[in-house]
Amino acid sequence: MKSNETCDVLIIGAGATGSLAALVLARAGLDVVCLEQGAWVEAGDHPHYSTDWLWQQRTNWNADVNQRHHPDDYPVKSDSSQVLMWNGVGGSTNVYGAIWPRYRPSDFLKGNEHGLQPNWPIAYEDLAPFYEAADRLIGVSGLAGDPAMPPREACPTGPLPFSRTAGKLASTFDRLGWHWWPAEAGVISEDYDGRPACNGCGICNGCPRGSMSKYSLSIWPKALAAGVRLRTHARVLQIETAIDGRATGALYRDRNSGIDEFQPASIVIVAANGVGTPRLLLASGNLANQSDQVGRNLLHHTLVSAELWVDEPVEGHTGYVASLISREFAETDIGRGFVNGFNFNCLTSPAGAGDNAAGWITNNKAPWGRDHHRWFERHFGHTIGIHVIGDDLPNPDNRVSLDPDRRDADGIPVAKLHYRPGENDRRMMNFMLDRLVDVAGAADAFEYKLQDYRDKDGIYRTPAWHMIGTCRMGDNPETSVVNGWGRSWDVPNLFIVDGSVLPTGGVVNPTPTISALALRTAGYIRDHFRELTGRTRLADA
Amino acid sequence: MAHSSEVPDPLDPAEAARLLADLVDVLLPGADGWPSGSAVGVQGALATRIILHRGEAGLDALLKAILSAGGPFSGHDEAGCIAIVEALERNEPERFGWARDAAFIAYYESPFVAAAIEARGHAYDLRPHMTGYPMPRFDLARDTPKHGRGHYVPTDAVRAIDISGLNLSSDSTLPWGLKR
Repeated sequence: MKSNETCDVLIIGAGATGSLAALVLARAGLDVVCLEQGAWVEAGDHPHYSTDWLWQQRTNWNADVNQRHHPDDYPVKSDSSQVLMWNGVGGSTNVYGAIWPRYRPSDFLKGNEHGLQPNWPIAYEDLAPFYEAADRLIGVSGLAGDPAMPPREACPTGPLPFSRTAGKLASTFDRLGWHWWPAEAGVISEDYDGRPACNGCGICNGCPRGSMSKYSLSIWPKALAAGVRLRTHARVLQIETAIDGRATGALYRDRNSGIDEFQPASIVIVAANGVGTPRLLLASGNLANQSDQVGRNLLHHTLVSAELWVDEPVEGHTGYVASLISREFAETDIGRGFVNGFNFNCLTSPAGAGDNAAGWITNNKAPWGRDHHRWFERHFGHTIGIHVIGDDLPNPDNRVSLDPDRRDADGIPVAKLHYRPGENDRRMMNFMLDRLVDVAGAADAFEYKLQDYRDKDGIYRTPAWHMIGTCRMGDNPETSVVNGWGRSWDVPNLFIVDGSVLPTGGVVNPTPTISALALRTAGYIRDHFRELTGRTRLADA
Repeated sequence: MAHSSEVPDPLDPAEAARLLADLVDVLLPGADGWPSGSAVGVQGALATRIILHRGEAGLDALLKAILSAGGPFSGHDEAGCIAIVEALERNEPERFGWARDAAFIAYYESPFVAAAIEARGHAYDLRPHMTGYPMPRFDLARDTPKHGRGHYVPTDAVRAIDISGLNLSSDSTLPWGLKR
């Protein structure tokens, strides 16, 4: 085994949060090493430049780790959810859609509101400045002034084009008397920070132009310029600790040479997402898990969807994939029969005609035979997709754990993932489906189809982009894994910055919140580096 | 070519290619300016993708399934050909569904099909990422919402609510979802 020089900060994972933490800490003059098990994803690697891009998205570029065969991945055995992620520099921002809404203040206080979820140890106001900072780095587009959200600064770039789909949905929500607002996006509407504005291509599963913030294009160049040493193809086998309980660094395998190396560090940051982080901690001798909360309380959001087909030509295959967001039902109203709320993430249409024919989010397919072309002519250019995303309740049995029998090629136990929606979640999804019917009616859709993501056996197999909660932050070491600064209760120089620390899911895509939290935690480490590296016990929460 | 009870193994290559070409033409017939599946080479893409994702045995199995469903298509009129594919769909729904989806996707990768889409008045590019689609800029005066709807609960206004009437721990909402 080869041992390297001790660095100030070791970051495990080069995805969204790892890159942001690396940037903050390296700019402060700290010696930062980042280990990434995957590779760089070059612009030309993406399928967007090929005529068969849709086929590639369904196969070797499938966001589901169990549907593609990629050497950078690790096995995840799921009895339920579709496990969507990308392992490589930039992480899942290589394939995501970059819808960019924020949590709302009540999302941080569900313990006070109804007690079925914990309060966060921080408030919306603690995070708000970091939302703004993240938005400036990303170049977020959108429109300030939404009455359904706290005031915010003007977005760094203005709203993306108001598509025909957006116009149709706006009039639909107006008929219902429901809130709507143009979607905020991690997509630049004008040239920004050396990256070109969105060109409206519609293929919004990653963006090799960098118009959609792919962190390997928006953040990593800055982090590297600041001096971060990024090692790709470096698969961490375990985090090691000393007798005093502090982390000493990480043992990793250079996948190119096959040589095992040890990277000592004064501080270790784990940024390996809601599956990879608990897997690594559990595989590192049950590290940071005196609470028995590592891997538990996996949250995905409640998710149901619909496709509507309307008479008006909305031409939704053009332009950014998200059109509007409706926050009409975002807050709890127990008159609905459940706690928490949900949002409508209104999309446009699939960018490829093949998706229209072979099935998109509801798997509605064109017929084969003589009726095929007539069906296509009626539906193509008339499709509107809607995801409805709600706040699911934590359940300790919904979890990431280690398979006792299977190990991957590097000897690490395979991650097992289990998720079942609970009573409140099922009630909410029923209500959400009924509201989608309302939307279809108000839109005068000539056809609609709903999607509950249940398979033929009734198993809820949600496409789980959002894998959060598995190392949640809190005020109590007995019920949480890290404190409000992302610092392990058990290992004083170990921090977690990825989505696993979110105690609740809110009603939105989590990347903006995860990014803001990563900036906040990295700033804390930067500002307290001397104390953090000199103490052996936590002095405060 | 022989029928199911006497399927030769291996199939004659030319007849196998014809079988797949005939299948995609039943799935995607040409009409009204739309080229047929075989005219744009769907059968070639379908064959290579089956091999890539399901192995050579997957292709062989599909061809044999067509024969078992009443193929080959030659000698049948349109209704007869449709009956063969209906039987294939009924007998082997998973295998058929995969092939149908793959054929649909391959079809819409064709520049000639893209041209047919454009001919119907849609802007459509096979590789839209290259140049994008022109979109009008957001017009603040026209596009900014004016409805005034929406609210949120500020941090200092979050209040405890009584959830005792929800019976979340005693009731069970089953069935749920689309099968209610």
